Amino acid sequence: MAPDISAPAETDQPGADREEDRQSPRDAGNDVIIRGESVVKEYQTGAQTVQALKGIDFSIQPSDFVAIVGPSGSGKSTLLNLLGLLDVPTRGTVRLRGTDVSTFSDGDRTTKRKHTIGFVFQSFYLIPTLTALENVEMPRMLDRTPKKTRERAKQLLRRVGLGDRLDHYPDELSGGQKQRVAIARSLINDPAILLADEPTGNLDRETGDDILELFDELRAEENVAVVTVTHDAYVAEEADRVVNLVDGEITDADEAESNGVVEQ
Amino acid sequence: MSWLYRIVGLFPRLVIARRNISRAKARSILAAASILIGVVAIGAIGAGGAAFKQSQLQNIQDQGATNVFVSPGLDMEQSHFDREDLKAIDETVGPAGVVATKSKDMEIVKQNDSRERVSVTYLDDPRAMYEIGRGELPDNWRRSIVVSHDYAIDRGIAPGDRITLAPEQDAESEAAAAERTYRVVAVLQETQSFGSSSIYLPIEEAENRHYSQVRIMTRSTDRAEAVADALRDRFNDRKDKVLVFELTSLVRLLKQVVNGINTFLVGLGSISLLVAGVSITNTMLMAVIKRREEIGVLRAVGYGKGDIVRILLIESALLGILGSAVGVVIAAVVAAVANSVFLGNPFAFTPSAFMYLVGAVAFGVFTSLLAGVYPAWRAANERPIEALRG
Repeated sequence: MAPDISAPAETDQPGADREEDRQSPRDAGNDVIIRGESVVKEYQTGAQTVQALKGIDFSIQPSDFVAIVGPSGSGKSTLLNLLGLLDVPTRGTVRLRGTDVSTFSDGDRTTKRKHTIGFVFQSFYLIPTLTALENVEMPRMLDRTPKKTRERAKQLLRRVGLGDRLDHYPDELSGGQKQRVAIARSLINDPAILLADEPTGNLDRETGDDILELFDELRAEENVAVVTVTHDAYVAEEADRVVNLVDGEITDADEAESNGVVEQ
Repeated sequence: MSWLYRIVGLFPRLVIARRNISRAKARSILAAASILIGVVAIGAIGAGGAAFKQSQLQNIQDQGATNVFVSPGLDMEQSHFDREDLKAIDETVGPAGVVATKSKDMEIVKQNDSRERVSVTYLDDPRAMYEIGRGELPDNWRRSIVVSHDYAIDRGIAPGDRITLAPEQDAESEAAAAERTYRVVAVLQETQSFGSSSIYLPIEEAENRHYSQVRIMTRSTDRAEAVADALRDRFNDRKDKVLVFELTSLVRLLKQVVNGINTFLVGLGSISLLVAGVSITNTMLMAVIKRREEIGVLRAVGYGKGDIVRILLIESALLGILGSAVGVVIAAVVAAVANSVFLGNPFAFTPSAFMYLVGAVAFGVFTSLLAGVYPAWRAANERPIEALRG
């Protein structure tokens, strides 16, 4: 049986969530941001059909900190795709606040993604020709609310400790600072979930710790859930829950943690 | 926040596209340059050709393209028109200047008794066809002559001079060869008109009223063509009673030839623009591949496929606009040179020259836009996470 990513009632979760969950685990639409049921994802490579995910269940709630670990090819990227509404499952359902995402058009998914999910990447992916401030504004540039966007972007950069680096270009910033800019960017649309793909992968331990600390603070302040894909055992240790993906299946959580360590 | 920032904030995709263009300056400039070359080729060839055509048409017009010349046809009983014929022609053409002339060769008798052949035309009033340059034509024009500009210059003839004319001395008319001296009353203005003589005499001086040619003067080449058609309809039903000669067919032929050559050359120019389009596609594809991750990020943070397509199309259109804008200036300069060579005025742009210039710009921008479609489509359909994970 594939375990639910969402916290079992025993783990330490905010009480309200636990209550809701227990009452109606399937339809806790108000609190569960995204939930997957028996999710299968298949890819066609040549004549072969590869099952990247083999029927997994997951759910993410506000302020969760979930680490997804597993060897490469285990389906981490695929899961991230699905969580990020960048893809739809082959079978099974993924529900965003109770609505099956397969009913969304591509445009709908883009809109939902914009307002629900923030992305943080291993390589930051800041646009080199834009200042820190402009990079943070970028996701909202098309909204035609330049004044509001700028205020929010400044506020976020101050929040991540870069209030004095607003007009610096990415190449004038350190790795940790770049990742902070990227996190500020991911928060500009006030998302419910932050999807972080190896967020500390390009950073030294100390800087990585700072970033994880920042995640903790943001979860508390902005009520945002953080889902991270990671190879780093210590990142997994920081997480509330660890999901170990092996070969497209979720293995036991305890095993997952040890696997994560072994992988290092 | 400055007002400029606010205005710019209203066109975010344009801002993004413009930024992208200035990121790879050398590549953008080269792509724009390829469009520039195409636009210059089309614009300069088209507008220059238009100036050439205009000058040639002007030439033909000056040589009497609005005139229709009618001479006795092969099937006519006599080889001249009489008054009856004249009347019939007059009726056919309606309101138009009809001038009947009789032309022949005579000999001018010089002081040393040597003789020289000269072409002579008898007519009612030279002012119907030509402008008087020097001297004055009396109201009652009798027994005096008018000399053409070129002939007067060649022979140093001025109003007031006297000229003695004699019929051509050929075998039969030798006996009747009577010399006559006339006073030159006027010299015509320079004309390039077709079918002009050296010396003009009053029709009353002719031995008979047998006209060798009728000239019908109209205001436009179109009218001339209509008149010619009417005459052919009326007289040349089954037999070729009259020879109708008009330059409009020549004008049409010239237009056809010049247009044909121009279209061919502009077609060659267009090929260069198509090549430019390929170069824009290449540039945009390179840009899209180079910015793969960045586009992935944009898609991930909520930019729709349509947004990506639009940004990239604006980008390629901007390259086209850049190239076309500079190109059309160069093409206009080249066309101005052509204007001053062919028409004597650098700013004498004809409407069709304008059309070529505007068309070149439109074609340039359109080609660039079209060239951006595939790269934009490809970029928009890239899977974001795949782009972001290498």
